[in-house]
Amino acid sequence: MNPHYASLRDITRRHFFEKCGVGIGALALNQLLSADGAVKIDPANPMLPRAPHFAPKAKRVIYLFMAGGPSQLDLFSHKPKLNELNGQKPPASLMSGKRFAFLKGTETLLGSPRKFGTYGQCGMTLSELFPNHQKIADDVCWLRGVTTDVFNHGPAKLFMNTGFQAPGRPSMGSWVTYGLGSPAKDLPGFVVLQSGPRGPRAGAQLWASGFLPTSFQGVPLRGKGDPILNLRSPEGMTRDRERHFYDTVAGLNQARLETTGDPEILTRLNAYETAYKMQTSAPNLMDLSGESAETLELYGCDPAVPSFARNCLLARRLIERDVRFVQLYHTNWDSHGGQGENLNADFELVCRDVDRASAALVLDLKQRGLLDDTLVIWGGEFGRTPMGENRATLGRDHHVDAFTMWMAGGGAKPGIFGETDELGFGVIDGKVHVHDLHATILHLLGFDHERLNFRFQGLDMRLTGVFGNLVKGIIA
Amino acid sequence: MIRQFSIAYLAAVAFAVGDDALPERVRFNEHIRPILSNQCFACHGPDEKHRDADLRLDKREGALADLGGYAAVVPGKPDVSELMTRIVSDDKDEVMPPRKSKKPKLPARDVDLLKKWIEQGAEYEGHWAFLPVAKAEPPPGADNPIDAFVRKRLAAEGIKPSPEADAATLCRRLFLDLTGLLPTPEEVDAFTKNPDVPKLADQLLASPHYGERWGRHWLDQARYADSDGYAPDAFRAVWPYRDWVIRALYDDMPFDQFTIEQLAGDLLPNPTKAQLVATGFHRNTLINTEGGSDPEQFRVEAVMDRVSTTGSVWLGLTIGCAQCHTHKFDPISHREYYQFLAFYNHGEDRNSKGATVPVAAGEMFGKPAESTDEAVGAGELEKLQDEWEAAELARQDAAGEKANAKLAEALRMLDAARSGAQRKLVRDAFEKAEPRARKKRIGNSDPEALVVEQMIMRDLPKPRETFLFLRGDFTRPDTAGGLLKPGVIGAVNAVMPGVPTEFKSRLDLAKWLVNPANPLTPRVTMNRVWMHYFGRGLVETEDDFGTQGTSPSHPDLLDWLAGEFVKRGWSMKAMHRLIVTSATYRQSSHARPDLAERDPRNVLLARQERLRVESEIVRDAALCASGLLNPEIGGRSVRPPQPDGVYSFTQNAKSWKTSEGPARFRRGMYVTFYRSAAYPLHTTFDAPNFQTTCTRRIRSDTPLQSLTLANDPAFLEMAQALAVRMYRDGGDLDARLMRGFRLTLGRAPADKELKILRDYTNAQAADFALDEASAKSLLSPDLAQLPPAEAAAMFCAARVLLNTDNFITRE
Repeated sequence: MNPHYASLRDITRRHFFEKCGVGIGALALNQLLSADGAVKIDPANPMLPRAPHFAPKAKRVIYLFMAGGPSQLDLFSHKPKLNELNGQKPPASLMSGKRFAFLKGTETLLGSPRKFGTYGQCGMTLSELFPNHQKIADDVCWLRGVTTDVFNHGPAKLFMNTGFQAPGRPSMGSWVTYGLGSPAKDLPGFVVLQSGPRGPRAGAQLWASGFLPTSFQGVPLRGKGDPILNLRSPEGMTRDRERHFYDTVAGLNQARLETTGDPEILTRLNAYETAYKMQTSAPNLMDLSGESAETLELYGCDPAVPSFARNCLLARRLIERDVRFVQLYHTNWDSHGGQGENLNADFELVCRDVDRASAALVLDLKQRGLLDDTLVIWGGEFGRTPMGENRATLGRDHHVDAFTMWMAGGGAKPGIFGETDELGFGVIDGKVHVHDLHATILHLLGFDHERLNFRFQGLDMRLTGVFGNLVKGIIA
Repeated sequence: MIRQFSIAYLAAVAFAVGDDALPERVRFNEHIRPILSNQCFACHGPDEKHRDADLRLDKREGALADLGGYAAVVPGKPDVSELMTRIVSDDKDEVMPPRKSKKPKLPARDVDLLKKWIEQGAEYEGHWAFLPVAKAEPPPGADNPIDAFVRKRLAAEGIKPSPEADAATLCRRLFLDLTGLLPTPEEVDAFTKNPDVPKLADQLLASPHYGERWGRHWLDQARYADSDGYAPDAFRAVWPYRDWVIRALYDDMPFDQFTIEQLAGDLLPNPTKAQLVATGFHRNTLINTEGGSDPEQFRVEAVMDRVSTTGSVWLGLTIGCAQCHTHKFDPISHREYYQFLAFYNHGEDRNSKGATVPVAAGEMFGKPAESTDEAVGAGELEKLQDEWEAAELARQDAAGEKANAKLAEALRMLDAARSGAQRKLVRDAFEKAEPRARKKRIGNSDPEALVVEQMIMRDLPKPRETFLFLRGDFTRPDTAGGLLKPGVIGAVNAVMPGVPTEFKSRLDLAKWLVNPANPLTPRVTMNRVWMHYFGRGLVETEDDFGTQGTSPSHPDLLDWLAGEFVKRGWSMKAMHRLIVTSATYRQSSHARPDLAERDPRNVLLARQERLRVESEIVRDAALCASGLLNPEIGGRSVRPPQPDGVYSFTQNAKSWKTSEGPARFRRGMYVTFYRSAAYPLHTTFDAPNFQTTCTRRIRSDTPLQSLTLANDPAFLEMAQALAVRMYRDGGDLDARLMRGFRLTLGRAPADKELKILRDYTNAQAADFALDEASAKSLLSPDLAQLPPAEAAAMFCAARVLLNTDNFITRE
């Protein structure tokens, strides 16, 4: 690099950070205007790792998003009373003022047909459909009293991801990479993986960066073909030829930099070099040939077939490569009882898809010493009702008032947190609202959720809006 | 820097205050506020805990309040104003400021200022942006007033402006800024020979592509997209509105009319179809068709979005902040928010239901609606329907008891008078009877339809009641607080003399926004125009002119532009011409090492800026350079090839029927935009997601952008076409490469640049000569007509050019 332009850039940066508190472009402006705690970002390298507000317990996140809303009553929450009252009308006192997506008011209570057992020192109840979760019963912080505000899939998923039910806000992964940057040198800082029969409702809006710069949006790795869009060089361009191509582009950009003196050209030079590296790093990531047979067996992963299991393994490989935030989506938890989504065989199938690999991920991270500072989050956008639906096969409607999620590692305290009433309608102890969950996750990552903000349309926006209370009981 | 300039601004004000002669017009902010603030506010200010004598002077109502037969200030009458009596009193128990304050008696000049201020009516003033646009006189010494303002400022700082950019750069800059297209090498040559900027500006402003370029900027603000949003995100055809915008800008529709038609075209007397289509502006809100959705919730969401969009776009205010509580910083009360909302609350549309008007392709451009095999033009269809309705009514009347009473009733009414259900009843019956109508089924869910139902605004016959929502929650109307009538922002209206204070409809709102006395609309609009030319507005917070925003870097220039805009009949083209012909605009964008310390962000405008072009223009530029561009204007959105799997991440698998033929090569702004999963090029290059209004795009620079330009099949196709052009147009290798530079960058290469590309191309040709199979795999059918190694090397050179920073940058 020509020292003159380097010094020009340094001067610009110095102004940016020290002299005026002002930087280049919109980012800087927002920082200038925001309250204390707004993140200072180098626009030329937005992912440059940054320190949070205080020492974090978790340095990275793997979020296993169970799209559709898993039935807590058939997996985690054993309710003998519900079985006892199977087929009876729910108590009117529990139903008044409630709104459901599909229930008409004539539905009756539905006991779970699944057998439950008690596991681990903590005595967690788990159904027969989640046998592998027994192995991590004491590694996991079980949140049995999660509540949300929204009972439709799209808005509820957005709410769980962005703290707001309409699109347009940054997702959790965007907030985290905005706050922390990412040490991953040649992979995106926020990666999304997807499995299941269809895409999650609300789609790419779930990992969008909202009003934050697009550098912080999630990059979906594709299950088929090249993992990153446009990663592959045109056929006929060998690696050597591509090196020559990138060098030539760099040469011309360098020449233009010398003529114009615009330090932004340095940013583009860096971006092209990273792109070139990504062409090898991304395929290396996807290449599972170095994984042992034991590991593949642990996850239940066939390296050749896209699956939730393969994505869990990729998630571990991603964080090993310093990616900050990995989010997996797995669909078909929407067990209404219709075709392809009943609580019978369809539910068993999705449980098989998810149980083993979810547990394997925790065990694998643990044995590699990665679990301590990696936060694993598991859960859907809401739970399911104690009432069944009047459909051909077994099913439950969406339930916002009480459902189960779990977290592991990254400073989440193992054990059972929260309890619901004997029918599973509401939380009687240890309620964790979505905003509280967000506040706590940010805390584990070293942030005061009230100070991680970004000025937009005149407001200092936060993941937690104007809400959110730290749930101290689940912090190790 | 911003702080520094605010101080400079204040210094200028202080200078004015220090002037001995009394100003002709005493201004509150300039002359009076400092006196009151220093001498009086401590005991008679906003803080009610420390207020004496129940008198507050920070508000006019307080100063004028009846204190029991007298008042501190009586406008026009200093002699009976108690304030004047007290400040000149010799009685030590009466004089103000009082002895206990230990403040000296007011200087004579301050007394005179206060006296004159009261004589002149004792008007108060608010924040700068809420003050009337000042009649700024340009300083002498420059032909273009813009330069006069900018250079005066530069001279004061001892900085020289940059020289004019070279002709080739200037030509490319004008083309990109005014049309979003690249000049051909021949156009650059012509301009270089005779670098007449005003002439070129006129030529480009007269191009329909100007309507596209500036229409796209407007469409960002209109949050225009081709889908409903939310989870299902269904396709919707709203391109007639997009076409209306292009046409209106191309026609240089005055901005006041442009505003009125979009906000209230339906409320004009005998609105034309175009005026109805214009109201599509506020139908670009999201629609949620997910099962179980409460339509009222999403109706309210849309109405609230209309409020905040109107606030951002015209007023540059964050009105939305007052949805849940009174604005913390700006004078917008919680109640005013809902009064503003009342303008939009009468809308008939409710989530997915609402008024529409049928529009045929080309109709917004004045083409007669043509009849084709696939479609019956809307005009023809209307005629068919009129005939059928008359005949059907006669049949129903003759049918006696067998008649369909509901249909007959609907048929007796004029279309405009029918309810939604009645319109559907008639339409269904008509389509059943008329196969041609059925075949082209008007709708807005068919991407292929040539006639679509454009969503428009229409008010309910009986206005909906509007209440304040407690904490912004639509389930908690504050009925105790009473019904709210439509109303504007009081603090803005306060500086608009002679404007009615009663408002009823959106039409009243629109007229108020473009009332020449409105201090915000012309400033905000001109500031954004400026932003597109210089990368930053004169007010950097272009969407926040409130007290939390930044002050203008050149307040006089901003006010002059705003005043000139109104004076020139709200003509956008006149203002574009003024700006692009200014020396300030024409400066070189090269960095100035001498300013690196003093003005690294170029706030003083001693040079132009290098700006990476927007996502659409990235595509357009490559289409221009490759010669593939289909310059057709408007009509249905298109679907160029995109990689598989983009929609595997959306809820509903969407079909992306790739456009064939010339439609593949339409401009970027016509590419179908799904809110939930946009065309990847768009999101990669920072196009907004259009969930809400976007008044300014971010410019990022990421590796994904590099991968797109290097490997996206669409760009490879363009690189191939460019390679063919270079090869055929050129001569020897250098001539071919020169041609490539000129097609992509609009200029001849420097020797060093040419050498870099020549060495590369030669090396590639030699390499491919040994590997013809690889060479062939890189060739399009056209390129395959040429010697493979040479053709592949030419493709590589073309690909390099499309990947340079210079190519996607307006210099």
